[in-house]
Formats: sequence, structure tokens, C-alpha cells
Amino acid sequence: MSMSNFPLAIIYIIGAAVLPLLPRQLRSAFCLLISATAFVFLINLATGASLTFPFLNYELVVCRVDRLSLAFGYVFVIMGFLGGVYGYHVKDTLQQVTALLYVGSSLGVVFAGDLFTLLFFWEIMAVSSLFLIWARRTREARKAGFRYLLVHAFGGSALMAGILLHFQQTGSLLFTHFEGGAASYLILLAFTLNAAVPPLNGWLPDSYPEGTVTGSVFLSAFTTKVAVYALARGFAGLELLMWSGAVMAVYGVVFAFLANDGRRLLSYHIISQVGYMVCGVGIGTEIAVNGATAHAFAHILYKGLLFMGMGTVLYATGRNKMTELGGLFRKMWLTLIFFMVGAFSISGVPLFSGFVSKSMVIYAAEMEHFGLVVLLLNLASIGTFLSIGLKLPYFTWFSTDRNLKPEPVPMGMYIGMGLTSAICIVIGVYPALLYNLLPFAVHYQPYTAPHLIESMQLLIFTGLAFWLVVKKLHAEATITLDTDWFYRRPSRLAFNVFSVSICELFGAIERLSLRAARYLVRVGANPVGYSLEAAKNVSHTLLRTEKPAGEPSDFSPDRYRIPLGIMVLVVLLALIVILVWDFLF
Amino acid sequence: MKRRFLITAIAILIVAIILDVLVVSGHVHVKLPWSDVPGFFSFFGFLGCLAIIYGAKMLGHYWLQRNEDYYDKTDEHE
Repeated sequence: MSMSNFPLAIIYIIGAAVLPLLPRQLRSAFCLLISATAFVFLINLATGASLTFPFLNYELVVCRVDRLSLAFGYVFVIMGFLGGVYGYHVKDTLQQVTALLYVGSSLGVVFAGDLFTLLFFWEIMAVSSLFLIWARRTREARKAGFRYLLVHAFGGSALMAGILLHFQQTGSLLFTHFEGGAASYLILLAFTLNAAVPPLNGWLPDSYPEGTVTGSVFLSAFTTKVAVYALARGFAGLELLMWSGAVMAVYGVVFAFLANDGRRLLSYHIISQVGYMVCGVGIGTEIAVNGATAHAFAHILYKGLLFMGMGTVLYATGRNKMTELGGLFRKMWLTLIFFMVGAFSISGVPLFSGFVSKSMVIYAAEMEHFGLVVLLLNLASIGTFLSIGLKLPYFTWFSTDRNLKPEPVPMGMYIGMGLTSAICIVIGVYPALLYNLLPFAVHYQPYTAPHLIESMQLLIFTGLAFWLVVKKLHAEATITLDTDWFYRRPSRLAFNVFSVSICELFGAIERLSLRAARYLVRVGANPVGYSLEAAKNVSHTLLRTEKPAGEPSDFSPDRYRIPLGIMVLVVLLALIVILVWDFLF
Repeated sequence: MKRRFLITAIAILIVAIILDVLVVSGHVHVKLPWSDVPGFFSFFGFLGCLAIIYGAKMLGHYWLQRNEDYYDKTDEHE
């Protein structure tokens, strides 16, 4: 092990173990220190380096560095740092420890060279992220957390089954491109579940809005993008993924439009944006995989920023629903500015980060002449600008003034948002910074006149359509059914089948055995009486004798005990017999 | 309001079409069915936005939207 092949996950895991031992006021700074240390190790990683670790009879590749894993590694470490800045005020050790573990295990997956290491970190990721939801400590968070846990336990089991089957078939644990077959479909199922590809998407908008203010910033960044990485590594070029991704991008914006909770709206846009990446992975050409990676990189930052923005509103007002917000423009204008940087980035406005990454995926689809995919992805862009660029800020900061009195917000939250905004703009202005990190050499120029003109037409006319109907729009205090219905609604049935009915069965058996025990006690206390009673019953039935008169009389031991005189007589007789015998012979 | 909207929209559309004809056509890297339609992305943006708004609303009102206590009211097991 050296600097060139050091598994970054170790830094975070050690950090998570040490953190609770430190004084409370040092812990936030320590989180930042961990991120900084990880960054130093990260820039020293060498492409092509790997680290093997003998475990039982296998050679595990706990660290494998190549350009694809490095690109994701960079953005994960950066996002971990930015999340730490935003959450600097947090004094909750549980959140700090699990956030470190979550970032570390995500890096563990990204640098895992074999499937066993991947599975190991995959499971830590699921559990540590769960605590970022539970740390909200509300009833809704607790329940959403349990559903999150069950869904991811299912995904983890599918992954493990797939890996075992794959190992049995190929004899190799190396994590490379999968070549079809049952094993790879199981692994694909687990990956697409974490990427929230419909119909496996229900867990994401169910749980992310219930996380803590800072926890959801972390949640929005890692799980889905780790899945995108895993898909890019294992399933690049699978056409099914291209179509799923394109449909998913539109699916997300349609459901986002119906959402009322601000962070739920953003969660649906994670699904939509991950759709672009899944689509890019599915197209599978160099430019497409580059596009997927670039979009993941940019998306992690601007989506983190958007969650920070809505999280700040939640922190300051205690509200996150559009029906309960409005008129915050004068009181939270700085948050609005940062939020709009994120909104412009996700909408693909020129000079913001989304513009230079999203267009790569669309360009890749154009190159392969997938016209329908191009249209679907552009439609998703429209919906993104509509919901995040226009509707959500309109109903949160403008619209009806509800005379909210926002609490003051910690400085760290503003600094976190400011830094993230700066990075989003820098990437938008100097895309080469991002393009240099991508897995393949980039021959793509986003700032061409045709591309600018087409993008501006799309955005301006989306805005005009919104202007036309804005007076008729109003947020609705409803929830929208999604695929989580399939396990939430029948949960009562499942509860009845798997819990209530089993309890009833056990209860019945218990009642039966108690009755049997009581009967045995009664019989045991008066065996002769009951035996006689039974004999009388039998003879009554068979021989038509007199019917016995109910219960036998109370048991008295003396009634059946042999009198002492008889015993004495027997002993005397025996003695006489022995004496006579002795006398005669 | 209506009038101002129409004037703005048509003005932008004219500019977009002129730019499309002058700059975009002839420079497209890949020929797709709509490459020759000037102002295609203006129409697509406008109609696409309305389609998403009304499509989503219909989907929500006729099928998917429920009261906020939809899941909770059947769920008294703690």
C-alpha cells in the first residue's frame, strides 16, 4: 500500500471511529479535515494502480484506480467537503459519523476492483444513509427509514445472489463488464434499484424528503450516482438502459410537477437527471459514457446546492411545502440567489454547469441517430426548467406572502451554498476543468452557436408557456401515488398475513396447550377417580349400564391407599414362609 | 396581458427563426428529422411545457393524487 493505491474509504472509516472521541466543538472541523486528507490522497492516486488484499482463498482488489473511478472519486470527495461546510453547525454525532461512513463507503464502491469489496461497501452505504434519515427523529422519518431499509435490503440481497451466481459461473470476482445471463440480471436489478430506475424508484422520493436538513444533501449526492458508476462499469452499451433512462428522465419531471413538498420535487428531479446518465450509459459510446460521467459530476454539485437551498428554507421556517410557503423574497434573498444558481445549472442555462454536461448526453444520442431519445431528453429539460427554475422558486419566494418569520441561518450554511454555487459557475464557464477528468478524451464543444440558439429557444419558450398559465397554477396539498404504493398500500395485508395471522396461530396453540395442561392437572390430581369415571363412561356407551353422575368426587388418597394391617400381614406371612422353609430343609 | 404576451412571444419567435435560418441550418452536426424546421425548439419548448403541465395535472387529478393522509389513515400499527 502506498499513496498511489491507497483505498480512500479507510480514511473516512477511521475518521468515523475517531470522531466521537473528540470534544464536541472540534467534530465539525474534524469532518472537514477528513475530507481534506482524503483529497490529498486522491490527487496522489495513480491511474492503473491497484491494491490486492488476500482474504480467505481470494485475492480481493480493494483499490483499483482508473479514469472512470477517479472522476467519481473527485466529485464524491468534493461533495463530502461541501456537505461538511454546509453542516458545520450540526452538533449531532450520529449524523456526523454516518455521513463520514456514507461518503467513505461510496468511495469504497467506486474504487472497488472486485465484487466482494463492492458488496461490502454497498451494504455499509445503505445502512449509513439510513441513519441520515432516522436522525430527523420524526415519526414520518422513522417510518420512511424502515421502508428505505427494506427496499435496500432487497437490493443488497439481489446483488449478493447475483455475485455468488456470477462467481460460480465464471470463477472470477473481478468487477468488469457483465456479459448477460441470470447472474448479471440480478446484479443489474440491484444497480438499477439504487439508480431509482422506474418501476424501482419508489424508495427515493419516499425517503429523501424525510431526511435531516444536512442529511438529505448527502443523500441526494451519493447512492444514485454510485449506481450510475456501477452501471457505467458493468453495463455500458445495454440498449435497455438507454430507453429506461430516456423514459425515466420524463417520468421524473412529470411526477415532480405534481409534488408539493419542495424536497420531494427535487427528489423527483434526481430521478429525472439520473435518467440522462442511465441513458448515456445505455448508449455506451465513448462520448455517451463521458456525458454520463460529466453529468453525474455536475449533477452531484447542483443537486446538492438545490437541497441545501430548500434545506435552508426548511431550517429557517420549519416548512417545505409550496402550499405553506411564499413571499420569502425579502427575508431570504441570499438563499434565493444560491438556489437559482442551482436551478439554472440543472436547467442547462448557458454558463452554468448543467449546460456543459447534459448536452453531451443529448449530443451522444444525436450522433447515434436516436431521434426519439433526443426528444424525450429535451422534453425532460423543459420540465426541469419549469419545475425547478420557475415553479418552485415562484411558490417559495414570491406568490402569496404568508408573513413567515424565518429564523436566522448559521453562517456555515451560506458558505456551503456559496462555495457550491461558485463551483457550478466555474464548471459552466470553463468546461475544460470538468472535461479533463472524464474517462475518455473529449472532442466536444458545448458553446457553439447552433447549440446556444437551440437551448435558448427551448428555455425562453418554456418560460413563456409558464407565464401564460402561471395565474392558473397553484400548488396542491396532496401526495402523488408512485410505485411505493405497491408495498405501502398492501402493507396492511402483509402485516395481517405475516404478523397478525402468525400471532393468532401462536395464540391458538397457546390456548390449546393451556387447556390441555389444566385438564392434565385435574386428571393428575385424581387419576383413579377419572379412570373409574372413564370406565363407567365406556361401559355406559357399550353395555348400556347406568349413566355416570358427572364429575368424580374429590380425590382422597386414603380412599385408595392399602391399609397398613395388610402390609404387616404380608410381611408376617413372608417371614413365616422363610422360617418354615429354613426349618424343613 | 394577453396582448403583451402575444407580442413578446411572436417577436422572440421571429428572432429565433431568423437565427435558425442564418446560423443553425447548414451547421448541424447530425441530420435529424427536425433539423430543417426553423424555430423547431421554440415550438417544442412551448408545446412541451404545456404538455407537461396539463399532462401531469390530468394524470394527477384522474389517477394519482390523493389526500396527504392517504397512507396514514390505514396505518395505525406503530
